[in-house]
Amino acid sequence: MAAPLEARGLTKRFGSTTAVDNLTFAIEPGRITGFLGPNGAGKTTTLRMLLGLVHATGGEALVEGAPYRKLRDPARTVGAVLEASSYHPGRSGRNHLRVLATAAGIPSERVDETLEQVELSGPARRPVKTYSLGMRQRLSVAAALLGSPSLLVLDEPANGLDPEGIRWLRNFLRSFADSGGTVFISSHVLAEIAQLADEVVIIHKAKLVAHEPLAALTGRAAGGTVVRSPDAERLGERLAAAGIEATAADDGGLRVAAPPERVGEVAAEAAIVLHELRGESASLEEVFLELTGGER
Amino acid sequence: MISLHVFQDSLASLAEPHQQRDVVSIAAVSALISLILGIVVSAGEFTHGTIGQTFLVAPVRERVLGAKVLATAVAGAVLGLASCAFAWALGALLLKSRSVPVHLFSGTALRLVLGIALAAAFTGAFGIGFGSLLRRQTAAIVIALVWLLVGEPLLGVAQVERYGPGHIVASIVEAGDQGSDLLAFGPGLAVAVVYVAVAGGLGAAVLRRTDIT
Repeated sequence: MAAPLEARGLTKRFGSTTAVDNLTFAIEPGRITGFLGPNGAGKTTTLRMLLGLVHATGGEALVEGAPYRKLRDPARTVGAVLEASSYHPGRSGRNHLRVLATAAGIPSERVDETLEQVELSGPARRPVKTYSLGMRQRLSVAAALLGSPSLLVLDEPANGLDPEGIRWLRNFLRSFADSGGTVFISSHVLAEIAQLADEVVIIHKAKLVAHEPLAALTGRAAGGTVVRSPDAERLGERLAAAGIEATAADDGGLRVAAPPERVGEVAAEAAIVLHELRGESASLEEVFLELTGGER
Repeated sequence: MISLHVFQDSLASLAEPHQQRDVVSIAAVSALISLILGIVVSAGEFTHGTIGQTFLVAPVRERVLGAKVLATAVAGAVLGLASCAFAWALGALLLKSRSVPVHLFSGTALRLVLGIALAAAFTGAFGIGFGSLLRRQTAAIVIALVWLLVGEPLLGVAQVERYGPGHIVASIVEAGDQGSDLLAFGPGLAVAVVYVAVAGGLGAAVLRRTDIT
């Protein structure tokens, strides 16, 4: 079976600027994949190429194995939540959805169902210009759900949402994935994704820098050890003999590239007294920043 | 304008069917409204940013354009007919108030109604192509109006104004009744088809290549 979303050597150039450079990845069905990168890394352009809105300069963007434009029934295949504010201000949320449903050949009952699903039934008949940002975002989600697709693509959906809105979205996506749906969600803030995603695709300056399970990313964060000993010099030698790299820290301790258990064993074998032994883990944010060159 | 016409003309001239036909001809303004409708339906989607969602549910862009051309042509024709009916009813009422016998059902008046409906259908369809070409609602409407008020009269310098889009619309409305400087109905219709096809073709080409960012 084809991957829900796949990029093969996907490239987009705007004039002399390369927005997306030879991107290749495929996301797994039934999982939530975070699409991370600093602002301007090329996330939106990538998503829009996958959705057939932006033409690729090179490579392929595939949804269920086919270019978006070749999909027989796109609204029932993939639901997309693009950046907010793409509404005619004078039309009601319900009217907006009815137009989309008609264009997609979806029965209009689905409009009220999806409005209910995103808890927007109350203001559904009011003009969109009276909606808060959170309500507009939920209207976007409703539009994405019209065709009951099994794949949702969301572009920075948390932008501008208040904490309650973010919690609502997180719970919603979690239950969508739990019922077998696939989610691809972009963000420039790792923390938003860390509580949600099973996997992450990270891009930086138009290029892929990582595609791995979130656990692997967490694993990269763990692993270091700080150790302090009155006999630091000998400990360093013993560690080096065991093939473990250790560097002297400013505070007199040693920073060791091995888990604390291993450092403790080496010290015990050599009967070296330790005053401190603790595992050091970078935050996910630090790993993310390291991968993306410290830019946000 | 209808009342101006009815109240300013002499009673004797108003009794003429041809003069009464002019009472209905004011409904030709529906062709202009239909043009603006076409621009709003096409370029307005870019102005309001709804085009992305439209292309998500209907990714074959040429088909979206074709559907809009058809829908706006029908809407334009309906608008033309409704305007005629309104002008006719108002005209008849005003003529009666001056005790002028009403001849609004003459053959010329009926042909005019058909001409207006057809013209409004064409301007609506043209507006879709034109709006897709520019993708900016306000700019497209302003350019269309400036063309009609300034651009097209300038064609007169080269003696080709009767091929201008405004004159072509007039030739369909007039249906060969009057206006020696206009094309006859048949050729006028043919040129109108060319205008719609060219605007639609260029609009489709632009839509196909546009990145929706």
